Amino acid sequence: MIELSGLTVKFGGVNALDAINATFNAPVNGIIGPNGAGKTTTMNVISGFLKCTGRIAWNGQDIGQMPAHKHTRWGLRRSFQKEQIADDLTIAENLQVILDATPGSRADKRADMERALELTGLTAQASTPAGGLNTFQRRLTDVARCLVGNPKIVKFDEPGDGLSREEANRLGDLILQVPEVTGATVLVIDHDVDLIERICVETLVLDFGKRIAFGPTRAVLDDPHVKAAYLGIEDVE
Amino acid sequence: MTKITPSGWAGTIFFVVMILALPSLSGGQWIKIFTSTSCFIIAASGVAFMYARLGMVSLGQVALMGVGGWIMLRMNHAFNLPFEINLAVAGGITMVFGWVLAIPALRMRGLYLALITLMAAGGLEVIFSTYRFPNGGTGFWGVMPSVAAPFRRPAIATSDAAYLRYVMLATFLGFALIEAHRRLAPGRAWAMIRRSEAAALASGVNVIYYKAWAFGLSGFLAGIAGGLLAGGLGLLDAATFRASESIMLFALAVVGGARFWLGAVIAGVLYRVLPALFNDWSLDADLTLVIFGAALLHAIITAPDGLSGQIIGLFSKRKGQS
Repeated sequence: MIELSGLTVKFGGVNALDAINATFNAPVNGIIGPNGAGKTTTMNVISGFLKCTGRIAWNGQDIGQMPAHKHTRWGLRRSFQKEQIADDLTIAENLQVILDATPGSRADKRADMERALELTGLTAQASTPAGGLNTFQRRLTDVARCLVGNPKIVKFDEPGDGLSREEANRLGDLILQVPEVTGATVLVIDHDVDLIERICVETLVLDFGKRIAFGPTRAVLDDPHVKAAYLGIEDVE
Repeated sequence: MTKITPSGWAGTIFFVVMILALPSLSGGQWIKIFTSTSCFIIAASGVAFMYARLGMVSLGQVALMGVGGWIMLRMNHAFNLPFEINLAVAGGITMVFGWVLAIPALRMRGLYLALITLMAAGGLEVIFSTYRFPNGGTGFWGVMPSVAAPFRRPAIATSDAAYLRYVMLATFLGFALIEAHRRLAPGRAWAMIRRSEAAALASGVNVIYYKAWAFGLSGFLAGIAGGLLAGGLGLLDAATFRASESIMLFALAVVGGARFWLGAVIAGVLYRVLPALFNDWSLDADLTLVIFGAALLHAIITAPDGLSGQIIGLFSKRKGQS
């Protein structure tokens, strides 16, 4: 369970996030909204990259005060809008970076890595330098990084960006397996409403830093306010 | 993880051959030139790994060599300790200097980071030219006006030829130290920092800690290089450690190619051997600057991995064809 209460971020005079409240209980949850709605800001706040007021908790444990680099050891994983894997490292080494920061024995870490590579279908390319991978393989590597080291929260920031429909579907299936395999709660940001509808049980909708809807995904997408804000349809009275 | 790469084998064979052959084949002045070249290769390997692995530009490496050299001479003339202990102290204290240099630099990137290291090099240049290097005199600065007290080389390498072998072995160990880092957690952390600091933070990398580690390692290598240089000549001159020399060494590390061991070797050879060759041929050594400028342009425009990248690329192409 991820609980955001009274989450507020200010950039000068602009409220990037304005007292956001949401409790994500489902295994896979979505955050949607038009450009500039505050989706990535929410991700950055949960990652500890930005200072905020309010509370971020996981199963009752406050994680808002932790320094950014300690989030990984605690169990937070993040996939960026533009995947952030190191070209100089092999796929396996890109996963090993996360395992370097997390506790556990060498044998457990090895088994953990093998499982993540297997699940993402990257086992055969484990020793390939990331510099030579295509967009989808890079995204898969990024996903594999989110699977290792016993994650508690996994966040995907527009994971389907730049992928074909077929690749996005495969990625969706993979994301659906994350809670089952790791026990983590998943948060997904994406513009692809089809992807969100298919994989997310609960969805938060933001617009201009404010929460405009939160609840079961289908119900949220049918909400006239959401249609107005997100799909650019005229607002309802 | 412990597999030796083809480049690693090539490097090992190169150093073994050089250690065995070079001191026997060269004589007189050239042995001293090669010793000094080897020292600058160690220092170049430090700036090169910082640039290639972290994307950080350090323009203070030769100045840090000066710090290592100063401590080495100071230790030699003040105490009767073995060479290796003096060298370890020189490396250790210069590593701390590297950290101190890193403090203001840790939150900076790119040009600003480079400028800070250059300013530190400028500051050290003033100190070196004002107080000069210890030569056996009294007091903290230990400078006496004319003759210098003798310098104790390592017990196993008192002759010039043996000392060249000793320095080349140290250079090889320096490369091995960098390679060990590259393959372990620090190397992985550096690769993430180079990708982006956000990526590093999201991977659990303590960016400040690992950047400081890199500065420390680079400083340590500079300190060892300076200490060994002091041992080669028995005394040091402030002119060797001008801030402009640090810029030159960085530029040549780029020309040589920062990603490969061969790049640092090329940088050291261009820095020390080429001017000596020009002197031998009765040409003005300053002409090398023109060549360096052209080589830098070449590296920036057509060879991002430097001359070593081109040479290694040539070999891998041949291997691919055969």
